[in-house]
Amino acid sequence: MGIFLTSGFPSPEATEFLLGAIDEGGADFIELGMPHSDPLAEGLPIQYSSTCALKAGITMQGTLEIAAQFRQRSETPLLLMGYVNPILRFGAAEFCEHAAAAGVDGLIIPDLPPQEAALMRVHMQKYGLNLVFLVAPNTPDERMKEIDRLSDGFVYCVTITGLTGTGLAGRLDAINSYLKHASDMITHNPLLVGFGIQTHDDACNLSKHTDGFIVGSAVIREVERVWACPGLSMAERGQRVARFVRSLKYGPEK
Amino acid sequence: MGKTRIIAETGAGQHGVATATVAAYFGLQCVVYMGAEDTERQALNVARMQLLGAEVRPVTSGSQTLKDATNEAIRDWVSNPTDTFYIIGSVVGPHPYPMMVRSFHTVIGEEVKQQLNGLTGKDFPDVLVACVGGGSNAIGLFYPFINHPEVQMFGVEAAGEGLDGRHAATLTQGAIGVLHGAMSYLLQDSDGQIELAHSISAGLDYPGVGPEHAWLKDVGRVTYLTETDKNALVGVELLSRTEGIIPALETAHAIAALKKIVPQVAADATIVVNCSGRGDKDMQTIMDNL
Repeated sequence: MGIFLTSGFPSPEATEFLLGAIDEGGADFIELGMPHSDPLAEGLPIQYSSTCALKAGITMQGTLEIAAQFRQRSETPLLLMGYVNPILRFGAAEFCEHAAAAGVDGLIIPDLPPQEAALMRVHMQKYGLNLVFLVAPNTPDERMKEIDRLSDGFVYCVTITGLTGTGLAGRLDAINSYLKHASDMITHNPLLVGFGIQTHDDACNLSKHTDGFIVGSAVIREVERVWACPGLSMAERGQRVARFVRSLKYGPEK
Repeated sequence: MGKTRIIAETGAGQHGVATATVAAYFGLQCVVYMGAEDTERQALNVARMQLLGAEVRPVTSGSQTLKDATNEAIRDWVSNPTDTFYIIGSVVGPHPYPMMVRSFHTVIGEEVKQQLNGLTGKDFPDVLVACVGGGSNAIGLFYPFINHPEVQMFGVEAAGEGLDGRHAATLTQGAIGVLHGAMSYLLQDSDGQIELAHSISAGLDYPGVGPEHAWLKDVGRVTYLTETDKNALVGVELLSRTEGIIPALETAHAIAALKKIVPQVAADATIVVNCSGRGDKDMQTIMDNL
């Protein structure tokens, strides 16, 4: 189970704390989102969290520092997920160097197409970072195989042609037949499924042909809910988020 | 292609009206994304699109202008790839859109060739001038003449409140980056976040620019100038009173630049300015500012 959190949401100080809670909740790896002004693949929850985080003053450097602090406390794999422009602006080589030094394990860059990936790969290989590519239900077979060849770590199988946080109701059969096909095409890497997974049941329903799942928007919504509750201490907020993450993996507490 | 639904983004509303027109003609469903700020300043075009049967969806995120309308159109497109075709309104977006839109817009340059020959007997003009937001009207004018170095070309960007204030002069002041699936010049901050552009003309109010313009700038084939909001209004008045044509605020940037361009070229030079849009849609803004 991978859990996504927007860096700097609800505030840069809260992120470090939330990473700890997500780790404690049982995430097998964490995807830390680097907010962008124009996050094209995101639905409303992550658009909102990105806008909040940028307003709260998060920077690329700030995210790298949060990652480094997390790495000092935990060995849970940490990926950075973000759009290509801020990475290029930072400098592709410099960014990879800093990310590796911060203990980051890999990058997910949804607007970096495989045919343009050379500009990142050379630096990522130098610094030992994994590069995860995404496939979607309309990805042709040949491209799936190419993406399997180029990806390290895993291939991110997007449930739907659409945005993060889109509901899956009524689509599970279609998604499962696509996941089965994807698992036939993608043979070198584990296959992780994401976009729209909100509950443990969703994850179970999509687990037949995949090796794991990723939850993002639902976690962001839970963080929003917890932060909107009056009178909670930081420790209580952390417990609530950790409990939510645990319930995604194991189901609701009996 | 079997598509039943057309989407588009629009700034000034001209592209939205054009898209709504073809959708009405061919009986296709049409959704046009438009920044909320632009739906107000280009209300006439919103009414035209609605009359033609299109749904205009105001976009309230970010700068509420063309960039954010484009974001939403791309999000719609990736969410509905089976039944929907995205008609992009400029030479921007992922490949092959910039090439496709350029090809369609070369009717402008081809028309110039024909008319020029009829009017002057010349095969080539000496100077071409066009405004540049995304840059489709400019590339359409320039492209048929690109391989003729004797034809001088000027693109005119929006300097908004001035280059030290809010503006949309992407080629002049931007840095290289990736937006909407293309690498080009962008208005962006030191952390790679896209900055809000500003221009009095909705069609130029965009923090990116077509990647081919970036290349034409880098190789020095086209000279890119800027004109402020204020000068654009002077350009509106100039063309209205000398030719009896009320130009769009976008176009007025190209008209205004003639003051800089004419002294640089031979006295008998044949200068072609692309009158890319009409000013009806801008009357409210023009009245508020003149």
